[in-house]
Amino acid sequence: MGSILVSIGTITIIFLISHVLNPDPARLWAGPRARASTILAVAARYHLDAPLYTQYYYFMRDILTGNFGVDPLTGQNILSEIQFYLPNTLELVLCSFVILVIVGVAIGYFAGMHFSTAGDSVARVTYLVSWSAPMYLAAIVAILVFANYVPIFPSGGMYSLSIPPPKPVTGIFLIDALIGVNMPAFVSGVQHLILPALVLAFVNFGLISRAVRSSILNVRWSTYVKTARAKGLSESDVRRKHILRNALIDATSLSAVIFGWVLTSTLVVEELFAWPGLGQFAYQAIFSDDYPVLIPIVVVFTLGVIAANFIADVIYSLLDPRIALGGHGGAATVT
Amino acid sequence: MVTVAQQQSLKFRQLVLSNRLSAVGLVIVVVSVTVAVAFAIFGPRITPYDPFALNLQQSNLPPSPSHFFGTDFQGRDVFSRIIAALPIDLGLPIAIVLLSSVLGIFLGMAAGYLGGVVDEAIMRTTDLFLAFPTLIMVLAVAATLGSGLVNAMLAFVFVWWPPYVRLVRGGVLEVAAEEFISISKALNSSFRYIIFKGILPNILPSVLTYATLDIGTALLEVSILGFLGIGIPPNTPELGVMVGSISYGLYTYPWQALFPAFATMILVVGFSFLGEGAREASDVKVRPYILFKTRVFGKRPEKPIPATAQQ
Repeated sequence: MGSILVSIGTITIIFLISHVLNPDPARLWAGPRARASTILAVAARYHLDAPLYTQYYYFMRDILTGNFGVDPLTGQNILSEIQFYLPNTLELVLCSFVILVIVGVAIGYFAGMHFSTAGDSVARVTYLVSWSAPMYLAAIVAILVFANYVPIFPSGGMYSLSIPPPKPVTGIFLIDALIGVNMPAFVSGVQHLILPALVLAFVNFGLISRAVRSSILNVRWSTYVKTARAKGLSESDVRRKHILRNALIDATSLSAVIFGWVLTSTLVVEELFAWPGLGQFAYQAIFSDDYPVLIPIVVVFTLGVIAANFIADVIYSLLDPRIALGGHGGAATVT
Repeated sequence: MVTVAQQQSLKFRQLVLSNRLSAVGLVIVVVSVTVAVAFAIFGPRITPYDPFALNLQQSNLPPSPSHFFGTDFQGRDVFSRIIAALPIDLGLPIAIVLLSSVLGIFLGMAAGYLGGVVDEAIMRTTDLFLAFPTLIMVLAVAATLGSGLVNAMLAFVFVWWPPYVRLVRGGVLEVAAEEFISISKALNSSFRYIIFKGILPNILPSVLTYATLDIGTALLEVSILGFLGIGIPPNTPELGVMVGSISYGLYTYPWQALFPAFATMILVVGFSFLGEGAREASDVKVRPYILFKTRVFGKRPEKPIPATAQQ
């Protein structure tokens, strides 16, 4: 199982960063404004004065058992905080990921099939500009235009506070609202979801469009497409089964990378939209120098990307029968 | 029929004409780099106002003829501060990409040319680093190293090099299989000669194309680091820092965030257009269609395609 090896390797690298890279790890973990007694307590809690291999053992053990300690800012268990924030982030990220893949593939397919025409240029400039836009710009413009000047969407939060939230079952707000048949909460949840999900999709769809376009250009003049036409296949069959399907294979291997981007984009977007998710939690941890909180979040984000890679590998092997399901994690190329 | 010779003679002019994308990108990049260098040399003398001087009586002014982009909460001219930010916002990403590509060329050539255990070791390590989401890793390393521009740069290089190793290794494997390399070996050329005259010149173009696009990506993430307030010291004239320091006054003073944010976008657009245009023009499969602007799809008979374009 390649993914498990990659997980162990990446967590080891995170250990090296957090315990070896800085010459004074105890001060780092306690924060720059900590008193000497606090530093000693933190060093004892995270075993920072032990030999390195002992530190590694305790670090790995804490991560496997989910024993991340207590958040110094809120006094709550870090694991339960992550369990609270993670479903909210998943709701946002998955929604925007679905939008992103559909829009990205459609624009890339359009550009590729209309290569070297005005439509191609417009599509290309659109995805290049969206990809070049910093996510805070997209978020700020969205908030200013659609929540301030033309107030059709709420400017932040996950649901309106005047509505009683549904009973938590899965932790994902929209699903809970559906299970509890709480339509006002569901509608409010969707209203709050639209802007941040669109912003996340907008800044990240460019790479998919670009990959789909260039793989369409690679195959649409190739001999096997000519053969398919020569066999007398209808034009729509040629496009759907031979051209688009090939383009989707390339897009799949990229989508894991893009999922990682969407996941990390939540750092900025959740903060600006006051979305109570992992990204905002990470932002607050950084803002208040909470190193013991930051490291588990980094681990969660990394494991999320590795899981996305694994899923992409599975889909990849389903789409392309030539590829056997091999255990290479994080293998999508970025060129 | 179009002969290969005609293609060659058409190539340069047609590439420049058909590829407006990279022409626009080139203009943006050249102008911004020139301004950045000018500011680095002459300092605040070339900006309309001193970008560092506080002037609290003039704080939070909206855009006007005297202050194009308004002033920020400490009364500093936003336009002057954007110009002052260019050396950092261009210099940092260029340095990151330069260091990463040098590291990538070194490791990738070692992996591709030496092969065996060296290849395995380098590529497994590269795979591990590729599994990280870049932004969160940069944040973790930057938080560990502490604030400062050099530390921010090191934090980026720490996670930025792996794609270059992949790119270079792939190129080396391709080039090393070519006949001229085996002939060169048979002629007893030195190791250094084969590396520097045989392999390096053949992989550099693809590295350069990727690096141009990559400068844009690095610029985006540098400004996000500044926006989040990590690594890059507060009060540094940096576009992301300028946006981040104002997010609480967004509805009242939107210009303080919007102008630096749009400036970031224009800079990144420059590098993206330039890199993307160059990439497509150097793609042997697509090049014939850029050159002749032919719509080859069903209705018309196909133009002759060079052998490289056929699979």
